Amino acid sequence: LYEDQIKKFDWRGVNVGALKQSRVDLNHFQPRILVTTYEGVVASLCVKTGELVWRQVLEQKPRGDVKLLQVSGFADDSSDTAAAPMGSNMGFDMLTVQGHAPALVRGWNTNMGALEWEWSIMPMNTERAQDAMWIYSKSVLYHVLPAWRSHLEVTAYFASSGHSTGSTSKVIAPWITSESCTLSGTFYVCTDGKQLISLDLVSKSGQVIRTSLEAEPKGKTQALTGLNGVVIVDGKPISVNKDQSICGDLRSSSFAVGSFNYRKVLAYADLSSGILRINALYLDNCAPAAELEQSLPFPEHFGTPSLSNFDCKQKRNGEGKNCLFLFSSTSESIVAVQHGRVRWSREESLANVIDSQFVDLPLADTEGTLENEMKGKAGDFTSFERDIASAFLRRITTQAVQIRSLFLHVIGLGPPPTDTQRAGLVRDSFGLHKMLVLLTRAGKIFGIDNVSGKHHWQLHLPNVIGFANDEQMRLIVQRSAKHFPLQPLCTILGKNAVSGNGVLYRFNPITGKVAEGGLVQLDYRIKQLSLLGETEKDFLKGILLLDASNKVHVYPEHAAPLADGMYLYTADLKTAELAGYFVKYAGGQLSSTHIWNARLGGHNSEQQIIGVAGKNPIEHVHSQGRVLGDRSVLYKYINPNLVAFVTQAPDSTHKSVLNLYLVDVVSGSVVFTMTHRKVRAPLSIVHSENWLAYSYFNEKLRRTEITTIELYEGKSQANSSVWSSLQAPPMPLVERQSYILPTIVEALRETITERGITNKHVLIGTASGSIVEMPWHLLDPRRPIASTTQGREEGAIPYIPELPLPTESHINYNQTVARLRNIYTAPSGLESTCLVVATGLDLFVTRVAPSKTFDLLKEDFDYILISIVLVALTSGSLIVKHLASRKLLKQAWK
Amino acid sequence: FLEHDSWITVELQHSLAANSESFSFRGNVTIPSLNSGLANVEQPDLSTADLDLLKKLALGNEFYRLKATVVYSNGAKAQFITSNKACRLLQAQLNDVLWVSLEPSGYVTGITVSQDTAPATIECTQEDVNKLLETQFSTDVLIRHAELAPVPDTAGFIQKVEREREARERGEVRDNRGFFAKYWMYIVPVVLLVFISGATNQDGAK
Repeated sequence: LYEDQIKKFDWRGVNVGALKQSRVDLNHFQPRILVTTYEGVVASLCVKTGELVWRQVLEQKPRGDVKLLQVSGFADDSSDTAAAPMGSNMGFDMLTVQGHAPALVRGWNTNMGALEWEWSIMPMNTERAQDAMWIYSKSVLYHVLPAWRSHLEVTAYFASSGHSTGSTSKVIAPWITSESCTLSGTFYVCTDGKQLISLDLVSKSGQVIRTSLEAEPKGKTQALTGLNGVVIVDGKPISVNKDQSICGDLRSSSFAVGSFNYRKVLAYADLSSGILRINALYLDNCAPAAELEQSLPFPEHFGTPSLSNFDCKQKRNGEGKNCLFLFSSTSESIVAVQHGRVRWSREESLANVIDSQFVDLPLADTEGTLENEMKGKAGDFTSFERDIASAFLRRITTQAVQIRSLFLHVIGLGPPPTDTQRAGLVRDSFGLHKMLVLLTRAGKIFGIDNVSGKHHWQLHLPNVIGFANDEQMRLIVQRSAKHFPLQPLCTILGKNAVSGNGVLYRFNPITGKVAEGGLVQLDYRIKQLSLLGETEKDFLKGILLLDASNKVHVYPEHAAPLADGMYLYTADLKTAELAGYFVKYAGGQLSSTHIWNARLGGHNSEQQIIGVAGKNPIEHVHSQGRVLGDRSVLYKYINPNLVAFVTQAPDSTHKSVLNLYLVDVVSGSVVFTMTHRKVRAPLSIVHSENWLAYSYFNEKLRRTEITTIELYEGKSQANSSVWSSLQAPPMPLVERQSYILPTIVEALRETITERGITNKHVLIGTASGSIVEMPWHLLDPRRPIASTTQGREEGAIPYIPELPLPTESHINYNQTVARLRNIYTAPSGLESTCLVVATGLDLFVTRVAPSKTFDLLKEDFDYILISIVLVALTSGSLIVKHLASRKLLKQAWK
Repeated sequence: FLEHDSWITVELQHSLAANSESFSFRGNVTIPSLNSGLANVEQPDLSTADLDLLKKLALGNEFYRLKATVVYSNGAKAQFITSNKACRLLQAQLNDVLWVSLEPSGYVTGITVSQDTAPATIECTQEDVNKLLETQFSTDVLIRHAELAPVPDTAGFIQKVEREREARERGEVRDNRGFFAKYWMYIVPVVLLVFISGATNQDGAK
């Protein structure tokens, strides 16, 4: 990659995560929005555009869990903060408390995001410290540690230095439980039947305050941020603080406190029938602040909004138009509302992408017509003469139609282009331009341009979650864009959050519109799913579903005959038991037969499955064998039904044992077993062609290692055309080797191309956010240890135990992907190029060419010079020819 | 690789009817030593009724399902199910292979039944079914052990580097390839050049 190619083939999306706490400050000398998120990120957003000003990604949870956000200068009665004098290390712009054991207190500079100071507390009881809460009041930070149904311990520290102000005070409170209590400012409020019991933890009196309620609360009480001693009970604010009155008969789904016209204002927002209504009241006299009232249409894909914070500019008093309202939503968006409209929004659900697909763009209409003609020709089985005549006639007709449409287009009378064509969503020559469909944990689906990063469409599925055992929702391409004029079709499979039954959602991945009915609620739980072949009529791949009682279903129903003869397997992660099923379609009904099982759990069932890796169903294996040094061929063991299972268990002798099993999931045969000792997770595994690579942590030597396995049949091939798992396969020759990786691996993925000719590379996602492209030649288990001529003839590199990570192999150069979690690859139309998307907190989309771009001209191909040379040589040859003929003529006359 | 040797016995039961959950007795397998992998197999003859059921299963292209109950030396039991096409079993004249896979502690992870020979046809006809002559199963039992994983060989690599450095200091050259194998990339261009020059001289001579 050269300097002028930076961001030419790739783009990165930077996210912060779902909104947790926020402060909007429009009257600061630099207007700002400060946020903390559930992903453990502290960030500052631009008020006008919502872009990141700075971002600090904290440690992983639970250490990076932000407990308290305190901003100085905020108009809050509970705070009496002093801004930091210039050059001193006291005071703070912003203070955060994160984690619980240790609890980290940090002071930040909000202009640059720089960490200015930090101190920590290590509690005596780390288990109880998980429930700790924090109060900031008058430059003192209070650590509130509840012992449920017994008492509270309150310890005071000076906020910026961490010095203790004295001993821990103990407040007897036998009514406290985690479900019924919350902290509002300095008041600890619990529900008890039809009353609230409150304690002011900062006052010296320690008096118990009881407040009656009209009805017993149904939901959990929430604190109203910004007011001391006010909680929200079933959408209704209740004050337990006698110094803070609250307006009665007020009910809303979300509240926020701010200031307007130098007066305290309580704003609330509700969504009904797609309209978001914002209202506000002055807190001193409960008069409505009419200038702040706004109504705006709220797009459905944002989900349900929740008002987080707001602020108003102090200039131009009397105008409510300069107020900015910041909303979080159930689809994990951050929405800024101003002037009665959505000013900007951030899609933070992209911080939790759980599945990804590259979908081909549709053909242009003219090319589609040509494809239709070719298809029609193939389908016509009438006599030879008529076939030729009709093909010729159709060709002439098509070209006449094209000329006519071109003519009409030139004079401006052509038919209007379709929406996808107008948006530029047309397949390019090389198939590099695709629609990147991303499914996120919040149930939001995005259609993103993989070249420009533009969000073309988004959808939101409420009440759909992933499956059990951390199995996420699935995004399946049921029909691609190849079958013009049929539209491509994608399906999401998930679980209903309430009933636990399966849910299907079908949509067009190019337009983002609902297709073929959209949402389907199934009446059974999904245990396993598989994809069938294409139907003849509408080229649709059916989905084979195995439910919790081992019944088989196919969706759509008309694809059910294709499920005959299918094999399914299930794996129980906890017990490490595998089961195989055979599907039969007879008499219009589907049935399944239990045909094999395997037990990987060990004697005491302590082994648990931590990794399952099958092969990519769309991959091609181009080379059937490997040429050895003596010119013979070592044939590959290419079993499409081979799945790798990795189990881990604590061991009394070796502290931790990791087992790898290669299982044929059609016959249930355990083909190979390998044992690692003193080895534990995190595990990343990749399985392709006839090889396997997985990384783990070696506890004895305290480093990350990667083991690669290659499977071969031998010098002769059993059956070169069809693989049969039911026939006894020969025991494969297993080559294996281990290497040291000088990094922590978060994700592994192999490159994939359309025909499998290109070399395979393994993309290694590291914990520092880099993606390293590792050629398979370096991971090859056949690298010779001794310097023999055999290995040199074969082209293998001599064995070196530590793998290099050169900086040129980092495909995302300095564009790190924070919290890198997964890498997805897809083939493009070019054989040399593989499309890559890396997901984590950030999103990074690029392409890699493992064998260089052998099927492309180079970008710096000098067209001009070659044209000039060609023209000059052609002209020169003509001139020389003319001169030569004249010379011959002269000689002839002599 | 086994951490310690042990013995197991396997009771075999099979199901000769499609869509049925009843399994009947087939035989017993005793493996006195998991390390050596030798097995003693006792399987009685099939009755005529069982043979007819098996042929019917093969004609319907159904699965022959086998249930194996493993009894360990400590008295624990584990049950396994494996299947294969009944047609293949008949074509193999009731010769089959029982694969037993073990993990390092001697626990059985999987049992699979298969046949060694490749079938002539995928499905059975009545003629194929009538070719069955045997009435008794002939079973080989093969044990698959786990293997220890490799560890990055840093010590060996360092020794190799030191050995190579010492050899280089002693001036020893250990490239033992033949003369032609070593220098063919220099010989071939010379030969080609000579041939081309010869051809040019011939043209010049004319």
